Order: sequence, then structure tokens, then C-alpha cells
Amino acid sequence: MSWIPTLGNWIWLLALVPLAIVLLYFLKLRREPVEVPSTYLWAKTIEDLHVNSLLQRLKRSLLLLLQLLAVALAALAVFRPGIRGDDAGQGRTVFLLDTSASMQATDVGNDESRFEMAKRLIASRIESMSDNETAMLVTFSDRPETVQSFTSDRRRLSEALRSVQVTNHPTDILGALKAADGLANPRRSSEVGDVNDVQVADALPADLLIYSDGGFRPVTEFSLGNLIPQFIPIGKSKVTNLAITAFSAERNLEQPGEVQAFATVMNLGTEPAECTATLTTEGNFLDAESVSLEPGDQVGLTFSLESEESVALQLQLDVKDDLALDNVAFAGLSPLKTVSVLLVTPGNTPLRLGLSTPKATKICNTEIVSPDYLQTDTYKTRAEAGTDDLIIYDRCSPAAMPSTNTFFVGALPPSSTTPEGGSASTPEDGAASIGWSWASEMSPVSLVDVDRTHPMMRYLELFSLLIFNGRAVKGPEGSLELIGGDVGSMMVLSPRDGFQDLVLGFEIVTSDGEASDQANTNWYAERSWPVFMLNVLRYLAGAAEATGAASFQPGESIRLRLESAVSQPVVRRVGGGQVAVDVGPGAEISVVETSEPGNFRVESQERLIDLFAINLFDRTESQIMTPSSVEIGFESVDASNAQVEMRREFWRWALLAMLGLLAAEWWIYSRRVA
Amino acid sequence: MINSTSTTPLLSPDLLARLERMELVSRKVFRGRMKGERKSKRRGQSVEFHDFRNYVAGDDLRLIDWNLYARLDQLFLKLFQEEEDLHFFALVDASESMNFGNPTKLRVAMQLAAALGYVGMCRSDRVSVQVLGPPGRRAPVLRGRASLWKMLQYLESIESGHNVSLYDGIKDFSVRNPGNGVVVLLSDLMDKQGYESALRMLVGRRMDVFVMHVLSPEEIDPPLRGDRRLIDIEDGDATEITINAYAIERYKETLRSFIGSVKNFCSRRSIVYLPVRTEMPVDAVITKYLRERGVVR
Repeated sequence: MSWIPTLGNWIWLLALVPLAIVLLYFLKLRREPVEVPSTYLWAKTIEDLHVNSLLQRLKRSLLLLLQLLAVALAALAVFRPGIRGDDAGQGRTVFLLDTSASMQATDVGNDESRFEMAKRLIASRIESMSDNETAMLVTFSDRPETVQSFTSDRRRLSEALRSVQVTNHPTDILGALKAADGLANPRRSSEVGDVNDVQVADALPADLLIYSDGGFRPVTEFSLGNLIPQFIPIGKSKVTNLAITAFSAERNLEQPGEVQAFATVMNLGTEPAECTATLTTEGNFLDAESVSLEPGDQVGLTFSLESEESVALQLQLDVKDDLALDNVAFAGLSPLKTVSVLLVTPGNTPLRLGLSTPKATKICNTEIVSPDYLQTDTYKTRAEAGTDDLIIYDRCSPAAMPSTNTFFVGALPPSSTTPEGGSASTPEDGAASIGWSWASEMSPVSLVDVDRTHPMMRYLELFSLLIFNGRAVKGPEGSLELIGGDVGSMMVLSPRDGFQDLVLGFEIVTSDGEASDQANTNWYAERSWPVFMLNVLRYLAGAAEATGAASFQPGESIRLRLESAVSQPVVRRVGGGQVAVDVGPGAEISVVETSEPGNFRVESQERLIDLFAINLFDRTESQIMTPSSVEIGFESVDASNAQVEMRREFWRWALLAMLGLLAAEWWIYSRRVA
Repeated sequence: MINSTSTTPLLSPDLLARLERMELVSRKVFRGRMKGERKSKRRGQSVEFHDFRNYVAGDDLRLIDWNLYARLDQLFLKLFQEEEDLHFFALVDASESMNFGNPTKLRVAMQLAAALGYVGMCRSDRVSVQVLGPPGRRAPVLRGRASLWKMLQYLESIESGHNVSLYDGIKDFSVRNPGNGVVVLLSDLMDKQGYESALRMLVGRRMDVFVMHVLSPEEIDPPLRGDRRLIDIEDGDATEITINAYAIERYKETLRSFIGSVKNFCSRRSIVYLPVRTEMPVDAVITKYLRERGVVR
């Protein structure tokens, strides 16, 4: 049995209450006057009673006794007596609270969400802590947050718990596990094998209580060590949930006024479900389609509409299922936009052809110049101003990187330390730049890996390519390998101050001295070549925006590159207010307030610059069935019943008994007075 | 507590008829003022023979049984039973405390007094039914059944509120009625100055005293509970008490001991103590209860 005094320092006031009642009982007793023939006998009776009057009255007054008993029970309730079903044992507890989107599911009953239920369970667990127990509170969605570090102050823990809000973000538990790991598994002060190594601190085992619906991937890069995990599943294994897992809109390039919207609806629940999917734009109904799905099935929906202007589409599933967040999806469509591309080449027919396909010409204006152009002032002005959306350097590189995205073919970007006005160099110079360098000698290359997930690599089949001469490319830190060959990375994408540089490690065509160009690869003869060029235009030149607004996940920090001429950009939620943005150098903005799904417009002086949407689109989050166990560090943690851990409180019973006593007292009183 | 005044006649015709056959019993021999219809224990002059005794010098020669003298040659006197009247007093306590209950104790007391008085009047006794009231108030002395209406008229005129103490009332009665006789005191005896001195005074007057202790059921088992302020309707005296089962038990004990002490007091002084409860029917009290206890026959 443990006690939690809830009145703090004022607890002594309780002692005064019975005293006051006894005093009031004697001093302020309201007596009903009644006439009797004579008080002769009564007076004699009272004389007898007066012999031990006070004691007799206290002993014999049932009402007073009942009142005192009621007060005693109320006082008992104030002390909150209770016992805990199970002793945690470690004395140190880490509460891991899942605040991801799936915790908004309302399948736990009582009109509360999983998150509220988890909070309630943690709150009751905190209340059942004894004074010598400590606990910390860590929340996790796509990022961890240590809301309260180790403390034995239950009030601080409760306040910290109250401040926690559920998010629309996806789940990543690893960070939270690492935060919990700190004290339980202290790290060493130095490298392994150091003779002077000392352990920083003693390991302090702790209970790791994970309040989650288990909607996260198995964690493999983590060892529990001294953490004793306990998975308290929040939610049920039988759920109903229809989710929109994809939604996008594209213009028909043949008929730019025609817009097609594509959506994928999945039944991620355990019951068959049907609903109507309604497509609206800014509250106006556009189209609707009925959906009927068995558990695990999915269906693709296509909507066609006419619009030459920008559209902000919203697809809503009219169904009341356990998770409402994934029943709505947003997609935006910018007005048609043409990108401008500068191709710097001594002559490259495949490139020229790739940029002049019917599809490519619809979205880009290409200007082809020779490498000599790089020496002109016109180019310098153009490069500094970032007039072009993409500059392609074929077998040449500029003296300084331009303020725009670049694509180097068979050449490396220049060193950032190279003084301005430096001469154009050829790959044969082997001028390795700082950050960028060749990683191998010139040799025939065969491709071994392609990052198909990257938008630039979409729809490409490259393993049949023949590459006669190529070198592996090593990009600066943060680079992404898009194509890997047997000698190393053959195509690398690297960010640079809000721009992106793509470097291809082999030439498309080579020019041996004065001779005519010779093919270095058969890529240009493949079907993937024009597709790749279109991808480059869409992704690297920014023409992709012409087809459909990008979609981001909630909580993601969004960086957008705008036209240089744009001043004072503002971001507005469609149908909502303005969102704060940080305007960086080079007309780059970043948006961090991305918790709420919706369509967003980037405007400058009331002119639409860009559109983007925030959608959940996460099957792991939409898959809200609670698993019976979770995998943490190759260890399966079975679900345990949090109810057992709950402190069994008796104050409610004490209050009920008190109410019963008061009712009995009132009944007796009214019987006497009547 | 309910106080009510009954409008029913004090004595019903049926009861009157039964009362006419009754007679008051006196355990003491009193010398009546007039000859009545009562066969007295005294030997006297009447037609009813009682006994013989030897003649002694000075006896009334008219009482010598001459026939016996002729036969036995001795002088005997014939003794006859004396028939005489009886002084019957019914003293009704009309203090405010008697105006309590349903029917009120006063009403029951008046009914009993009227009934006993009528029994006396039928036997040509000298009947006086009076209220223990303020000094100087006189009640009529009645004789003969024709005086019934006078008695009833007097009784009907009695109202409660004569809050004199038992002692003062009886003292006033004793001063005004020096003769012997039968006294029936109808009272609840709830006198804070005590009843003892009052009764002692009656005994001292060599009266044949009957005490009819009239109590209402509400006094015997009070239906009171809770925190009460009891107000004495006689003197307004207030007593605060928390009435619970224990207090009620104490009260009943006090009442039992009070009745016991009255009984004890009365039996020591040859006073007949008769507890009467107001819920008992008056005719049953008279025809059964009092007859069984020798008040009437």
C-alpha cells in the first residue's frame, strides 16, 4: 500500500476538519423545538445523561459518528491509497511514447484516441511511482524528443506528459531508443583498446516501457543492453482503415488543359470496407467514385478534369474508419511552365537529340553554345544571375560554379577555390576539384547498380549499356550515387547551396583530335536515353513542377528553389493562413511548419510561384493493426498488459463509501427530525 | 404532539345506565352528615338487622329485643346496620400539562370524575367534583342523580390552564373541605415541586385517597427522535436533548422509576394508586378496571 498526498503542504488542515465538526456539532446544533406536557421527566433523563455527558454524546450520537467516519474516508481519499499490481524492480523507468500519426486512431473506444489512452496509461504509471523511483519521458514520431529527463518528481513528469501532443508524422523509434540508451548503457570515454580507457559511468539498468501501436519497422541497429523492454500495445488487432496511399495530378502534355489525377486507395484494415472517394478543389465538387475493397486489396482511381490554371486538389474518402488522417490526400498542379537549358558542348548529337524530342521541347527551351562561350561576360552574368534552370557542361567545366543546377558529362565541376575567370579545362587535364575527383583510371565500365528510387532514374533500364571508357567519380560529402559501375560510382548527384550538380563519369561521344565524334557508349541508341534526358529536365531543370506539385510527408523540412527574380516569397495553405518560411540565399526557401497535411502555394506579390502538398502516404502508418510483438535489436518484445502495471487506487471506493455514509446519515437525520 | 378537545358527551347514556348500579367503596368508616343509601360499617339505626349484643347500663331501651328477653330472661340489644351518606371528592388537575394527548388527559380525567361522581350521586352520596384551580374557586356540592346536569355543566366549563402546583391546589381544597371522605385525585403528577407533600396533606386529613395517575401514550413511549428542544407547555421551560434510542431508553427508565416511586409512596400511606392510560375506554376503566381494584362495586 502506498500513499500519494494530494494536498501537499496543506495536509495538516485535514486534522482540523473532524475537530471543527465536533465543535459545530455541539455549538451550532439546530434543534427542532417541540412542546411536551412537562419536561419534568426529561430533565431527570438528561441529568442521568449528563453524568458522562460528553462521552455519552460522542458515544451515542450516531449522526456524529457517521459524519466523522465520512470525513475520515474523505481524508483517506485525499491521501490516495493504492497498491501497484506489479513491481517494476529497476527503480528507473523510461517511457517511450509514440506520437506518430497512427496514434490518432480511435479504435480503443471511450471516444479517445490511442494517443490519449497511452497518455492515460503513462499518467497512471507515473502516479504509482514511489518517491525513490525515477523516470524519463521520450516521445518519438519521425524524430525523438526527450520531453523530461530522469527525475523522481512525479509532478514534473505529469506536466511534461500533459504538454505532449500527437503529430501527423511517420514513425522512427531508433532515435528515441538511443535517447533512452544513454544512461543504461554508458559509452566508453575513448576508442576500444585504449589502455587508459575508463568507463564513464556505471551502467544503470532501466525499464523501457514502449507505449506504441507498434507501427514501426523492426529496429536492427540497436542493442538493448541494460534496458529491459516492455511493449505496451495501444490499439486493437481488428481495425477498419481505408487509406489513400498515393495521389498525384499531371497535365496531359499533348493537351495541356487536360489534367489527370491518380490515386491509390488501400484497405489496410482487417474488415471489408466501402466508401465514396470525392475529389474537390478548394471546396468545389469535381468528381466522385465509389470504392469497395476487401482487406489488403488496393484500387487505383483516375479522375480527368479540365484546367489550364493551377489546381489544388483534395481527395476525400467519405468513410468513418479508425484513422481519419489517411482518408484525405492533397495534390497540386502548377500552371504550365517551360524551363530554359543551356547546353555547353563542342558538339554532341545525342545530347542535342535528347533535348529536342517532342516531349522535351514542350517543357524546355534549349540553347546550345560551344565551350568558348564560358569565357564571355555574357555567360558570367548569366551564370551569376542563375537565368538558366540547368546548364549542361559536356566535356568541359566552367571556372566557377553557376548559380543554378548543373549536369557535367565526362567532366568534373571546378574547384570552388579556383579563381574566377579560370580557363575552361578538359577532362584530360585531370584537374581534380576539391570535393569532386576521379576515383579510377580510364577503363571500360560495366554497370552494376542503379538507384531506381531516384526520380531521375525512373523508367530506366541501363544494364545493357556498353561503355567503352569511363572513370569512377567521387563526389563531395553528401553525394548520392545514382549509377554504380564495376570501377566505382559512374553517376553522382551532389547538393550545393540549394542547387544540385549531377556528374556523369563517362562521355557520350568522344572527339579524338580533329576527327569526327565517336560514340563512347551505346546509350543514345537505347530507349532509356530520351527518357533519362526527360527525367533530367523534369527533376534537375525543375520542369517536373510543370507536371505535378511535389508531395512531402508531414514533419519533413521542405526546401524549395524559386526563380531568382522572386522577392518576398510567402507560403500559404490552401484554404488556410500563411505559413512561416525562411528565405535563404539564392532564392531558396525552407518551410518547417509542415505538420498538417494540405495543399500549399508559394506566392510572391500574389503571383503563384510554386505549389506543394503534404500527405501522409505512409503504409506503415496506415497499417494500424497492433502487432503482438515488436522487434528491437533482434529481440522480440512481446506485448504486455499495461493494466497489470497500473496502480490500483482505492480513493474512489473511499469516496463512494463516504457518499454512502452521508446518505445514511441524511436518512437517519431526516427520520429523526420528521 | 396533538392536543384535541372532544365534543362527545362526558358520559354516554349507556354508561350512565351501568353506573347507576354501582357504588363507591370506602375502606374507612366515616360519619356522614346525612343518612344516605349506603350500608355503613357503622351500627346504627336502620331497618337492616345486623347483630345482637348484651345490654349495658345506659343503652337505649328502645333497642332491647323484648321477645328475646321474654324467652331467655336476659337483656339483649338488637343492632342494625347504619345507612349513611359518603363524602366523595373528585379532584381534577387542570394544569396545562393535562391538556395533552388525544383524547387529552384532562378530558379523560373529567370523564372519570363525572362517572365516579354520578355513581356517588346515585347512592345519595355527597359529591363534589372540582378542579385544582386558583384558590377561592368553589365547586358545587351535589347529591342525588338529579344533580347530574349540574355536575356535567360544571365539568364542561373547565378549561385547562390552571397552572397551580399540586400542593397549592390540594391545600386550597383541604382548607375548604375539612370533612372526611373519599378523595379521588386525577392528575399526571408531573409537578416539578413534587406530588408527595400534596398527597401527604390528603392523608393527614384522614381521607380515603385514590390517585388516578393519568398518562397519555405519548408520555409513556415518546415518538420523538433527533436533536430537539423540548419546551414545557406549563412553564415554557426549555430542555435541549439529542433523542436517540439510548435517551428514549433512559426516559422510559426514568418514567418507570417515577411510577414506581409513586406506587411505593402510595402503598406506604394506604393510598390506592391507579395508573390510567388515556387510550383506555372510559367505560372499560370504570366498569372493569376500577371495579377490579375495589374503587367501585
